[in-house]
Amino acid sequence: MSSETVHAIIDDIGALLLFTMILIVAAGQIYRAIYAVAAQSLLIAIAAAVLAASTGNRDLWVIAGLTLGVKAIGLPWGLHVVVQRMNVRREVEPVIPIAATLALAVAIVVMAFQVSASLGPIRQAITGNALPVGIALTLTGVLVMATRRTALTQMVGLFASENGLFFTAMAVTQGMPLIIEIGVILDVILAALVMTIMVLRVRSTVDADIADLDRLRG
Amino acid sequence: MTGDRPLELVLLELTLLVLLGPLVTGAIQKMKARLQCRQGAGVLQPYRDLAKLLRKGTVQADTASGFFWAIPILVLASTVAAGALVPVARLGPPGFPLGDAVMLLGLLALARFLTAIGALDAGGAFGGMGASREMTVAPLVEPVLMMVVFSTAVAAGTTELGALAAHRGTSWFLAWRAADFLGFAAMLVLLPAETGRIPVDNPDTHLELTMLHEGMLLEHSGPGLGCMMLASHTRQIVTLGLVAALFFPVTPMGGSGALALLLGVGSFAVKVGVLVVFLALVESSYAKLRLFRVPQYLGVGFVCALVALALRIL
Repeated sequence: MSSETVHAIIDDIGALLLFTMILIVAAGQIYRAIYAVAAQSLLIAIAAAVLAASTGNRDLWVIAGLTLGVKAIGLPWGLHVVVQRMNVRREVEPVIPIAATLALAVAIVVMAFQVSASLGPIRQAITGNALPVGIALTLTGVLVMATRRTALTQMVGLFASENGLFFTAMAVTQGMPLIIEIGVILDVILAALVMTIMVLRVRSTVDADIADLDRLRG
Repeated sequence: MTGDRPLELVLLELTLLVLLGPLVTGAIQKMKARLQCRQGAGVLQPYRDLAKLLRKGTVQADTASGFFWAIPILVLASTVAAGALVPVARLGPPGFPLGDAVMLLGLLALARFLTAIGALDAGGAFGGMGASREMTVAPLVEPVLMMVVFSTAVAAGTTELGALAAHRGTSWFLAWRAADFLGFAAMLVLLPAETGRIPVDNPDTHLELTMLHEGMLLEHSGPGLGCMMLASHTRQIVTLGLVAALFFPVTPMGGSGALALLLGVGSFAVKVGVLVVFLALVESSYAKLRLFRVPQYLGVGFVCALVALALRIL
């Protein structure tokens, strides 16, 4: 594959990633957000495989496989199980209306492109659109975490944000050292485990979600 | 002015669009019925409905003004005029000044406006409610459609649909850039709204509180109602043709003989067929949204279209 084809494919995957991000922000039900984040991780795995095929970097194949197994299948499945077991309300509870969140997401995307445009032709040469797309994904993930009440939807935001970081790092550096990538994935798994356990424990002991914890006073 | 589509060809395409419009509706309804394990009416049912309506007499509300009878004719005329702008059999700009995608959307908006005026004029409660709802949804749909059109027009440097489609070239899917994916996603979100289908509107109900477009037709009867229904069939196929022209122009370009034209029409039919399957699947797998949730649904389309534009420009 020529480098132009690879750039074009990475750009296309970036557009699809933005689309899944919009779906996550707009999702009114927890399940839809979970499926959207699974699709997003699948796209990241495809991007890693494309980069692996073009650069011949063997580590990237491992990364693609790990992303597919852990982030596209394992974690969404885990979230799914937790949602089923907890018997919570299936609707996302936003702090501000979802339409307002969508408007903020648009502002983030435009800002990300505007900021990266200041890097000039160098950015275009190195990464195509991957850098602004990655920044937009990361910040929108943070936005999702900030504007949702329940812990599970915040977790979806965390995964999406992490996907954005992963995509940026991968596309800009053509593959980081394997040990770092594995460390990042382990971090995510750990965060997911801790949050899941916390959610389940809090619910089983005091029957409250973390949104109710802000009324605690020491 | 030279172009690839002479006047005769445009007239021929226009006739074809108007004639095939009811067939598209019939096909969607048949497919929907099969998906719901029903036998369903034949695909030709819309034609039979139209023929029946044209034979009937007209009854008008006492409160309706003298303008009321002209509404169906004007609506049909502006929709059919919009149909003239859609390239069917051959790509490329028309050989005479005709109008572009902005004109097409404007004509569709005019038809929508006239329908609403007619519904308000007759003074029925359902008509007024349908009109007010339609006018709530329309300002959310039309700007986004404009943005989708512009996001492809920026790349082609023209808003003329035939030229836009020709710029897209024949290797359609492989030539898709990043912005096209998002633009197409926005278009798929908007398509049910623009054609008046679930999850925004429900074309199957009459006399229910959920209806938008059908509510506005209640006061019409006989040939007038026939005109309105033909107009909504035509509007649907025109919208599908717009999507086909913007996103999948696979029309074989070579030659100008009858065979090339037939191939062009055939490929147009295939493209519309794909969209018909999509609409039928969406209609059978989703419930109608509450009216207050519709802006949020259309907001997804808006954001997609805006990001597509951002990808093109920034």
